[in-house]
Amino acid sequence: MPMVTINGVEVEVEKDVSILEAAAQAGFDVPHFCYHPALSAPANCRMCLVEVERAPKLLPACYNPVSDGMVVQTESEQVVRARKAVLEFILVNHPVDCPICDKAGECKLQDYYFAYDAQESRMRAEKQHKVKAYPIGPRVVYDGERCILCTRCIRFCEEISGTSELTLADRGDKIEVRTFPGQELDNDYSLCTVDVCPVGALTSRDFRFKCRVWLLTSTESICTGCSQGCNIHLDHFRNETQRYRPRYNSEVNDYWMCDDGRLTYKNLHTDRLLSPQHNGATDNWHTLTKSVAAKLEKQIKAHGEESIALVLSAQAACEDIFLAKLFHEEILGKKAQLYIAGKPSGKHDDFLINADKNPNRRGIEAVFAKLDGIKDVATLAGDITAGTIKTVYMMGTEFGEGDRSEAVAALKKCELFILQSTQGADLLDVAHIALPACTHAEKEGTFVNEEGIAQPFYKAYEPHGDSLPDWQIFMRIAKAMGKSTLNFTFLSKVQDRMFEATELLRKAEEEAAAAAKKAAEEAAAKKAEEEAKKAEESAAATEEPQDSTPS
Amino acid sequence: MEEKFLSRNFEIEKAYNLDIFEEHGGYSTLSKAFSMDTDTIISEMKKSNLRGRGGAGFPTGVKWSFMPRDSDKEKYLVINADEGEPGTFKDRYIMELDPHRLIEGCVITAYTLGLRTGYIFVRGELQHAIRRLERAIKQAYEKGHLGKNIHGKGFDFDLYVHSSAGAYICGEETGLIEGLEGKPGQPRMKPPFPAIVGVFGHPTLVNNVETIASVPFIIERGGDFWASLGIEKNGGPKLFGLSGMIKKPGVYEAPCGITVRELLERFGGGMLDGSDLKAFIPGGSSCAILKPDALDAQMGIETMREAGSSMGTGCVTFIDHTTCMVRLATRLAHFYHHESCGQCTPCREGTGWAYKVINSIEAGRGRPEELELLLDICDSIQGNTICAHGDSLAIPVRSYIKTFTEEFEDHIKHQRCPFKPWRTGKSKSKVSSAA
Repeated sequence: MPMVTINGVEVEVEKDVSILEAAAQAGFDVPHFCYHPALSAPANCRMCLVEVERAPKLLPACYNPVSDGMVVQTESEQVVRARKAVLEFILVNHPVDCPICDKAGECKLQDYYFAYDAQESRMRAEKQHKVKAYPIGPRVVYDGERCILCTRCIRFCEEISGTSELTLADRGDKIEVRTFPGQELDNDYSLCTVDVCPVGALTSRDFRFKCRVWLLTSTESICTGCSQGCNIHLDHFRNETQRYRPRYNSEVNDYWMCDDGRLTYKNLHTDRLLSPQHNGATDNWHTLTKSVAAKLEKQIKAHGEESIALVLSAQAACEDIFLAKLFHEEILGKKAQLYIAGKPSGKHDDFLINADKNPNRRGIEAVFAKLDGIKDVATLAGDITAGTIKTVYMMGTEFGEGDRSEAVAALKKCELFILQSTQGADLLDVAHIALPACTHAEKEGTFVNEEGIAQPFYKAYEPHGDSLPDWQIFMRIAKAMGKSTLNFTFLSKVQDRMFEATELLRKAEEEAAAAAKKAAEEAAAKKAEEEAKKAEESAAATEEPQDSTPS
Repeated sequence: MEEKFLSRNFEIEKAYNLDIFEEHGGYSTLSKAFSMDTDTIISEMKKSNLRGRGGAGFPTGVKWSFMPRDSDKEKYLVINADEGEPGTFKDRYIMELDPHRLIEGCVITAYTLGLRTGYIFVRGELQHAIRRLERAIKQAYEKGHLGKNIHGKGFDFDLYVHSSAGAYICGEETGLIEGLEGKPGQPRMKPPFPAIVGVFGHPTLVNNVETIASVPFIIERGGDFWASLGIEKNGGPKLFGLSGMIKKPGVYEAPCGITVRELLERFGGGMLDGSDLKAFIPGGSSCAILKPDALDAQMGIETMREAGSSMGTGCVTFIDHTTCMVRLATRLAHFYHHESCGQCTPCREGTGWAYKVINSIEAGRGRPEELELLLDICDSIQGNTICAHGDSLAIPVRSYIKTFTEEFEDHIKHQRCPFKPWRTGKSKSKVSSAA
C-alpha cells in the first residue's frame, strides 16, 4: 500500500487511488468540477491541478494515481494561482446570472469563486453566446452559456444509464452539449444529469423557478416509488416537499434514482384527505374514534370477527403494519381476514426500477414472518359479493392487480367500510368512515426494500391537516374500544416491541422449521424403513408365487 | 553541391510514379532492411540521431524502442501527415513529389517493429497529396511492396490513407488517434502514451512524414553516416520551408545545424528589395519569435532552445519592417482560438479571451493594463492544459509582447495601429510617418 504525503500529512492509501481521493483521505478537499466518484475522470476542467514533487508541471489530481512516496501540495501558491486562473477562465464566458439561476446556492462554481477567485472580471469584450433555456429532454432544460463543459452529464449517459444521448458538438469556446440528431435526453434516469451538473447548465423542468435552494430544508428519507427503496434527500419548504434528490448509498442506489421515483413527491400533496370524514361529513378525531369503535363492536357482535376484512397496504411503513397486526390480534381476535393491497406492478429494468411499485411489501413479510392466511386484495371483491365479508377496514386506496371498478362496486355493498388513507381517491364517496393518514414525509418509520434491507426515514414536517400516522390511528381506535394494551407513547417504543416480536417470530419460525425438518427426517426414515420392509415382504411374496406358478 | 536525400527526387519528373522511382533506386533498401536484424535497425536508428520532424523533436530511435516487442495485441503504425501549422509546408512536398519514399519508410518501420497495419493521416485540405499517396499505394500493392508476403519474406503490411476533416488539433498525436477512430479530435490525457494505448486501444507508433521518409536513407547508409551529417544530437539533413518577405520562398534540404542566416542568404536569396528583416519565426507559428540578432543560431532542437525559441518543424517565416506585430499576434491568436478543441478550460476560454484582448489592442481600444493581462492569460494557459495546443498560443503571444513591447504600447498609447494605412490601402507615405 503506497504511502503519500499530502500537505505534510502522511497517509497510507490503496493502490491505484487517485491523488484527489488520497487527499480526501488525508482530510483535504481538492476542488473539482469534472470529477465524479462514480464516473470516469477526463481531467478537462483543470480545477483539481495539484503540485507533485518532481513533476514538471501541475497534475490533475482526479486523473493521476498515487505512487509510493509521492509528495503532494494541494494548497501551495502555484496551485492556488492555477485554480484562480481556471475559475477566471470559466467565468470569461459565463453569464453570471446567479440571481435567476436555480442552481444558485448549491453551485460549485459559486462556492469555488468565493473560496479562490473573488475578484472583479477583467473581461471587457462581449461574451460568447450560446443556446439558452433549451429543452434538451422532456424533463431537463439546458443552458449552454452556464455550461462549463465538464461532460459529467455525457459520461453519466454513457457509463451509468447506458443510453448515450449526449455529446459535445462544435469546438473551442463555441462548444456545447447536444443530443445526437433526432434524439432527446429522454431516459429513465435523465434527471440525474441535473444532479451531477456542477453548475446551472442542466436544470429540472419540474423544479425550475420553484424555490430558492437555500430556503430548502433537507430530510433523509426513502423514495416510495418502488420496492428498490432509493435513499433520498427530501427537500422541503414551508411544510411542502419541493423535490427529491438521490442520497448516496452504495448498497441500494449509489448516487442515482429514476425520474419516475423522483417525481412521486407530487403525490404527497395532491388530493390529500385532510380531515376525518363520517358519511361524507367532516368530523373530528374525538367523536369519530368513538363512532368507529361503536360500529366495529356492533359488526363484531352481529357477524363475528370473521366477517371483517383488514386490508394492509404495502405502501405503509413497518411500524404501521405492526400496529395493524396488534390491532388484528387484540381487537379482532386474530380471526379477521387479512389482505395485502398495493399499487399494481409496472415497468422495471436491470438498474434501479423494480416492477413492484410498493416500498414495503417485504416489510409486511418481516412483520408477519409468514404470509399464509393473508390473501391478495384482488380476491376481496369476490369475498364481499360471496357474503363472507361484511366489514372492510382498508389502509390505502390501491387494489393491486385486481379490477378496480369491480372492487369499488363490491365495497358499496359492505355494511361498514372504513378507509384509512392519505388520499381519498374514488373510495371517499364509498367509505362510511374516512380516516386521514399522513404521508411518509410527515412521520418516521421503516421500509424494507426488495433486497430485504430495512431503511429508516425521518419526519420532514408536521402532518398536513388533521392527518395522523397510521400507527396512531390504530392506537386511538383500539383505545376507544377499551384495549389499553395498545398504548405507545413514542414511535421508538413501537419499534422496540416490533423488533422484539419479529425476533421472537423469527426464532419461532426457526424452531418450527427445525422441528418440521426433524419430523420430515423422521418421517422419511420411517418411510424408508417401511419401504424396505415392504420391499422385503413383496420380494418374498413374489418369490413364493413364482415357485407355485406352473411352468 | 551537397548530396541530397529527402529532396533527391523533387527535381525528377514524375518521380511519384513507381517505375521512375524504382529507376532511381527506390525500394532498394527494403531487401537490405529485410536482411537485417530488427534490433540492429533500432540501434542504427538510435545512432543516426534522427529527431522527430513534427515539431517536438523526440529521438525517433528511442520512440521506436518504446513499442512493446512481444505483445499479443496487434500494433499499428500511424503517419502524422496532418501538416497544418501556419508557416509549415514541408511534408506535403514529400507526399506530393516523392510518396513512394514515405511508403518505403513505412514498410521498413513496420518490419522492424512487427506492425501489420499502417495509416497515413493526411490533413483534409491536402487533396493533391491524398490523391498522389493513394495512387502510389495502389502501385506499391501491384508491385508487391505492400500487402501479403512482401518481397517473399513472409511479412504482411497494409497501408491506408485517412483524410482528416481538417482540424489543426488532429496534428496532436492523441487528437489524431481520436480522429482516426472516427471521434471528434480531442486529445487524450497522457499517460498512457500511444505506444501502450493508441489506435483502438492498441500499441501505436505515431511518426511524422519526414521522419519516416528519412528511414530508407538511414538503412542505406547507416546510422553513423546520418549522424555525421548533422550536429550533436541532431542527425541528418532535413527539409526547411522558407517563407515570408524573401526572394526565393520554398522548401530546401540542408543539414541540421545550419544557421538561419545561411538558410536566408544561401537558399532564400535574402530579403526582398526594400524589405528589412524585423523578426523571424524559426519553426512554425507556435514558436517564439526571434529578432535578427539571433540569425546565427543553428537549426537544432537544443541550439534553438538556447536562442530562446524552438526549431519546431524547421519552417522559417521571415518578417519585414512593414509587418505590424500586434496584427500578426491577432492573426495567430485567432488561429489558435479557432482551432482549440474546447475540451479543457484554460485553452477553450483562454485562447478566445486572448484573441479578444489582442484584437481590441490592434483595433485601437486597448488599455495599458491589458498587456499585463495578456501575459497573465498566457501564464495561466501554459502547462495547465491536456495537450500542448494552449502552449502554442501562450508561447508566441508572450514572446511577441516581450520582444516588441514598444509596438504594443504604441497601439495602446495612440489608440490606433500605426500600420493601419497599409491595411486600408491608403498612401504609403503615412506608413513611414507613423513608423
